[in-house]
Amino acid sequence: MFLYVLRRLFLLIPMLLGLTVIVFAIARLLPGDPVGLAAGPNATPEIIASVAKEFGLDQPIPVQYWNYLTGLVQGDWGVSIFTRRPVFEDVMTYLPATLELVFAALLFAIVVGIPLGLLAAVYRNGPLDYITRTVALGGIAMPRFFLGLLLQLGFAVALDWLPLSGRFPLIESTPEPITGLYTIDALLVGDWYSFTIALQHLALPAFAMSLSPLATIMRMMRASTIEVLQQDFVMTERALGLSSRLILFKYVLKNAMSSTLTVIGLYVSWLLGGTVLVETVFDWPGLGLYATQAILTQDFMPVIGVTLVIATIYLLSMLVVDILYGVFNPKVRYA
Amino acid sequence: MNVTRRALLGSAASAVALASLPFEVTAAGRKILIMASTTDIASFDPHVASGYAPAMLLRNTYDSLVRVVGTPPVVMPSLAASWTVSDDKLHYQFKIDPTAKFHDGSPVTAEAVVYSFKRIIKLKRGYSWMIAGVLNADSVKVIDAQTVGFDLLAPFAAFLQVLPYMFIANPKIVEANIGTDDGQAYLMANTAGSGAFKLGRVKPGDLYEFIRVKDDWHKNGGNLEGAIWKITRESSTQRLMMQRGEAHVALELFAEDMAALKDAKGVVSVIEPEYRTFSIKMNTVKGPLADKNLRKAISYAFNYQGMLDAAGPAELMVGPLPTGIFGHDPSLPVYRQDLAKAKEYLAKSAYKDGGFKLSILHAAGYENQRRWCLLLLEALKTMNIELDIRPATWPDTQAAAASADTMPSFYCIFQTANYADPDNIAYAAYHSSRNGQWQNPVYKNVEVDKLIEAARVEIDPVKRADLYKQFQALVVDDAPDLFGVLEKRKLAFRDNVQNYVFTPVAANSIELLPLSLA
Repeated sequence: MFLYVLRRLFLLIPMLLGLTVIVFAIARLLPGDPVGLAAGPNATPEIIASVAKEFGLDQPIPVQYWNYLTGLVQGDWGVSIFTRRPVFEDVMTYLPATLELVFAALLFAIVVGIPLGLLAAVYRNGPLDYITRTVALGGIAMPRFFLGLLLQLGFAVALDWLPLSGRFPLIESTPEPITGLYTIDALLVGDWYSFTIALQHLALPAFAMSLSPLATIMRMMRASTIEVLQQDFVMTERALGLSSRLILFKYVLKNAMSSTLTVIGLYVSWLLGGTVLVETVFDWPGLGLYATQAILTQDFMPVIGVTLVIATIYLLSMLVVDILYGVFNPKVRYA
Repeated sequence: MNVTRRALLGSAASAVALASLPFEVTAAGRKILIMASTTDIASFDPHVASGYAPAMLLRNTYDSLVRVVGTPPVVMPSLAASWTVSDDKLHYQFKIDPTAKFHDGSPVTAEAVVYSFKRIIKLKRGYSWMIAGVLNADSVKVIDAQTVGFDLLAPFAAFLQVLPYMFIANPKIVEANIGTDDGQAYLMANTAGSGAFKLGRVKPGDLYEFIRVKDDWHKNGGNLEGAIWKITRESSTQRLMMQRGEAHVALELFAEDMAALKDAKGVVSVIEPEYRTFSIKMNTVKGPLADKNLRKAISYAFNYQGMLDAAGPAELMVGPLPTGIFGHDPSLPVYRQDLAKAKEYLAKSAYKDGGFKLSILHAAGYENQRRWCLLLLEALKTMNIELDIRPATWPDTQAAAASADTMPSFYCIFQTANYADPDNIAYAAYHSSRNGQWQNPVYKNVEVDKLIEAARVEIDPVKRADLYKQFQALVVDDAPDLFGVLEKRKLAFRDNVQNYVFTPVAANSIELLPLSLA
């Protein structure tokens, strides 16, 4: 298992290298004038040339790529033309907000989706099954930004139960930064006030993000549970007099988890790359907004940086999923 | 962390209690103004940054020699308590307020002013274009500790109007952090000003906090303890924040938002004419639109009333200059829809039978601009000309403006005057030295250039107005643009915000000092 993990980690390097080539090429070959934009609307040609030189954009593209790659190896992810800050700093600033949103959404989807999927399978074709099917359909069909707007109008404006937007009240100081995730940071220092406030702000955007993965996890769990329930070993366990609860949660769940695990792993990167609409509606200052701003201004260093981060997280999450296969299913072992 | 069962239960109970509390309860009573904007602040360097959001930060954390207030904008003292101007408008002297001091307590002196102007001129970034050709490094001199003199290279009628953009930085702080780039890396993320506010929390992409300086030297300020510039990317969220009282000012609302807020409790709408114009630029050098008669035909065929109806709070432009600005000629004969005249000019052109396709770019996501393009399509159809309408991001539009070859037949732009002088628009949008830039990609007329250059240095207001009158007439005759609408600035305030005075330049770069919260 250790060698398997090590091998997978080594394979990350050529995969990410290939990704940098593709993204760099796309970003630099797009038409547009990001330097002119960064230099300002009234910049003279001399100023624009000076800005281009400042960012090394007057070099040939292969030279630019080589400079970028050598910098990357040394921890230098380049500088944003628009913000003029190191891309690494920017990514580290925005990433925790997105991770908090994604983890909260995924946690909610898993905690609610898996049990509901199990129960929908056990009580299939009953009222619960139909309700979950309807929820699943709505969750997949409903655009996240629209759901976000509805949640704002309902819970924030009409009922005034939850905040409208943002991660934290504007005039309050945020928890002492340890991980950058406000809820976790507040918990780590025992600051229940900040934890509660941060959770209130997290609730609506996380729910808006969670509905689609919840629906998919629920349906996947239902389908694989139904398949497992029909297998001989379940009948044997029933015949042996084991309780339904024991059969369901100890034996069936473990066997039905494999395909759901895959979906959860895929959803990590899907959510990471798809937060921009929810972040826009809820003013959640995360990576999605940062990347979108970079794309619209053709600021390609942040685009490459964000792509690499999401790709790395995706590959690592798939590795974790593969390891968890072995945990849930002892028949799956890696040399 | 060692957590006992009692602590856990107690914490859980507190959490439930807290969860039921209104989440803004701790905001009560504090005089902190919340401004909602879609725009981030990329740099804090007073001599590099530009744009309305950085301008807001700079005008509140730095000072300039003078400021402009009101409609029409009037030049008022700021760092300079008084000034004199020579009769030939070539020499200015400013007496600096002896009580003015930087945030570190050191006095603002003439040395600091000279230092700042030298830095602006050296870096050639930000707002330096406003004084290009007007000042050089030797133009600004120390007369005495509190007096600074300017010897202009040529008279510049708008000189006092551009000074609000020339912010004075603390030389001690800049020199201590000079680095290898004249302090740019330091000032990008730090301030060295004398403004009534200093920066508190800075969270790029999220919020910027302003804190009122203790023992501030400014007089007659409001009661604000601080302010927050909150990045709020959806105008609908800005609107809801206004309705809930979570924001005191919303800076980027559309006409639909203003309509929705019209009767909202506690919200005051500010809809005022500003020097902000919308035009459709034409490729006057390459392609069919190089034909002046065709341009005039299109100008007469266009449905201007339809454009106004789709614009929300706006009025039609009367020529190339914004209505109300010095030198604007309200009696200028301009194009309005007249299909007979359109046919007449079409017949004179080389394209009387049409039968070809033109192209236009508009800002992606701006529904208004797309509608205006559809009006143009309708107008061109009457001449048997097709129109390909394409949305474009701003970088693509800028790139398209680089030359006549890259420029499409038309593209749409908004232009806002940074300062209340016609030179701002005339020079940037119609002088041929600006060819290749988005405000004037290709238009060139030697006579127009001469008029702009002459008006720039003319100090007699009557003669200057006449020069601009001739300029406007020539430009209208050339028809390089479809002169569209003058959009009104749309702002929303909570009704407890006091002492706000609308100024038609930099109206959304809110000046915090005069404001109070009831």
